Amino acid sequence: MLRTIGLKLVRLVPVLFIVSAATSLLIELVPGDPILVIIGAEGDIEDYERIEAELGLNRNVASRYIDWLGDIFTGDFGEQITRPGVKVADRLKQTFPVTIQISLMGMAMALLISVPMGSWAAYRAGSRFDRYSSGAAFGIISIPSFLAGLLLIFMFVFHSTVPRYAVLILGLAWSLWLLWSAARARREGAGGMLLRLAATIVVAGLTVWLANKWPSFPRQGFVRWTSEEGRLENLRSSLLPAITVGLTEIAVFMRLLRGDMQSTLQEDFILSARAKGMPPVRILARDALRPSSFSLITLAGVAFGRLIGGTVIVETIFRLPGMGSLIVNDGVNVGDFPVVQGGVLILATFYVVLNGAIDISYSYLDPRLRRGR
Amino acid sequence: MAADTVLVPDTDYVAGTVVDPLSHAQRLMRVTVGLIGGVAAIVIGLMVLTDVNAGYRVVLTVGGLVLLFLALDSAGKLVWGPLFETGLWMSVVWVAIVGLSAAFADFLPISEAKDASATIFDGTPTLKRPDLLSAHPLGTDRQALDVLGGIVYGARVSLQVSVLAVAIGILVGGTIGVMAGFFKGRLDTGIGVVTDSLLAFPPLILLLALASVMDRSPRNMAIALAILGIPTYIRLARVNTMVFAEREFVLASRAMGASRRRIMFKELVPNVALPIFSYAFIIIAVLIVAEASLSFLGLGIQRPDPTWGNMIAAGQDDFDRHPHLVFAPGVAMFLTVFALNRVGEKARELWDPRQAKL
Repeated sequence: MLRTIGLKLVRLVPVLFIVSAATSLLIELVPGDPILVIIGAEGDIEDYERIEAELGLNRNVASRYIDWLGDIFTGDFGEQITRPGVKVADRLKQTFPVTIQISLMGMAMALLISVPMGSWAAYRAGSRFDRYSSGAAFGIISIPSFLAGLLLIFMFVFHSTVPRYAVLILGLAWSLWLLWSAARARREGAGGMLLRLAATIVVAGLTVWLANKWPSFPRQGFVRWTSEEGRLENLRSSLLPAITVGLTEIAVFMRLLRGDMQSTLQEDFILSARAKGMPPVRILARDALRPSSFSLITLAGVAFGRLIGGTVIVETIFRLPGMGSLIVNDGVNVGDFPVVQGGVLILATFYVVLNGAIDISYSYLDPRLRRGR
Repeated sequence: MAADTVLVPDTDYVAGTVVDPLSHAQRLMRVTVGLIGGVAAIVIGLMVLTDVNAGYRVVLTVGGLVLLFLALDSAGKLVWGPLFETGLWMSVVWVAIVGLSAAFADFLPISEAKDASATIFDGTPTLKRPDLLSAHPLGTDRQALDVLGGIVYGARVSLQVSVLAVAIGILVGGTIGVMAGFFKGRLDTGIGVVTDSLLAFPPLILLLALASVMDRSPRNMAIALAILGIPTYIRLARVNTMVFAEREFVLASRAMGASRRRIMFKELVPNVALPIFSYAFIIIAVLIVAEASLSFLGLGIQRPDPTWGNMIAAGQDDFDRHPHLVFAPGVAMFLTVFALNRVGEKARELWDPRQAKL
């Protein structure tokens, strides 16, 4: 096990090297010029050349890259060119938690919703639930994330009474249905009447509470987890971005898990579990989920990496101080190469480590893979 | 790219004959009720209730459209049997409408959508609400430019960029992939390393760099997006080539003394091309979203040329008061992407033998 992890870590080095070298080449191609930002409209050509020499920007890409690389090995991310004195490491420390929180929340939400729904759709393949959820997933996949973000803002920020009444109506309808099924259970003498009554009360109570306490979501801005305004404020400001980020993934994961789960459910050990009289929830969660989750986990890793690298759209819509906007606005657009280099390095490291960890997790998911590697 | 994330086989084939769960009379009933109710709801929603809250009118119109869909569904199943896929055919029709209106945009009777100086003095109202029976069916924007016209010209840009990008991607990626899969060995390893690095690189940075080096014409956007798509095509072509290279007909051809070039072009390429083409629709859909995202961030094609992305970006500032500026192009894009995904899924089901086995 340790050897596998060690090998993965060794392979990290060349990938990060290639990515950072490619980044510095690409930055060279982008026309943004940090010196123009520093001297502004007043400066003349002497100022330009003086500053260029001071910052060492007149040297070629290769030597600047090697300097940067040397600094990185001592843990120094350098200073922002366009804002002298501001350490890139500090900017990264400020922005990374925002991005990671949004992505983590989005991912967690996507998995929490897609795994039960995908499993159930596979268990009842061809049923009404399966057809409707697959159809909905198909529709959700076709919504571009920036459109989803704007739609969420429209519903939850501008017209917050609409989702509020929708929750109220749907919740009350659900509890009425539960009440009716409790009555039917009593009439037919079947069990579970009390359970259904209790569920009715819980659902109705939750609905009324939620409709009463419906939170208002901010159009923009971000309250940090550690700020004194509290954790709730943080959740309130990050919920809509997280939904935006996670929405597409819900649908993608659901379809994937449904397909894999359906073929797992054909296996003999599922048949034997059924023959023993195991309840469906136990079969799905204990027996079928683990062998069905290979593609899901692989894809989740790729998707998480993509989320972290691609949050710039969400950060633009909700005006969040995250890494995507740092790299694009303060980095690429003004040619500030330490910012871009540092940011891309962090993102790439995260991506590669995550996918390495997923590779290692396969051997946990399937014991047959443990030996012989 | 996200291309491979949407490619999950999801259709069950029911063997043998299929019996329609509804009787002939029930189907006829649905057709009549759906047609009458749907048309009535749409007419009332769009034309009669002109001074009611827009939200109710939208709900009524959408309800009417759902009824119409159900009527068409039953009609289709009556005529062509119970396996008729209404959603698929409606998707085909929508793609055709978008494609044709993009191709013939210059001949369509749409109002000025590009030149803001033309609309200043001719009395066109700015920020007009959508009214399907007027000269501006989907309203106008801040500069009195027609939203429908913008959507049509935006469709032209989206389709041009994404179709061209897919064509370049198939040509370049397919060729490289077939070679990697056929020759294997060192060439394959080298190509594998390059594709892996391309896939690991943050796509946004690559697009940013490419978008800022080249001027933002549709052709250059297509090249930039094609570069993003090439690794996917290389992988697809490589895997399919490897599968086909093991088949008997390749062995037979080799035994008859065919040259390597002949085997590649006469035996492998025709077989590999079909599964790759079957992905084209889905990748076009992904690229439409990618192009729109770039325009939305201000990195794609700029005004005065309207694209779906830059129209939505321009409309988002006060779209609580003028939601049509965001949702008209947004709905057009959603429907197009949805339809392409639907058609693409069917195409893959029909033409990709590897997936069809699953």
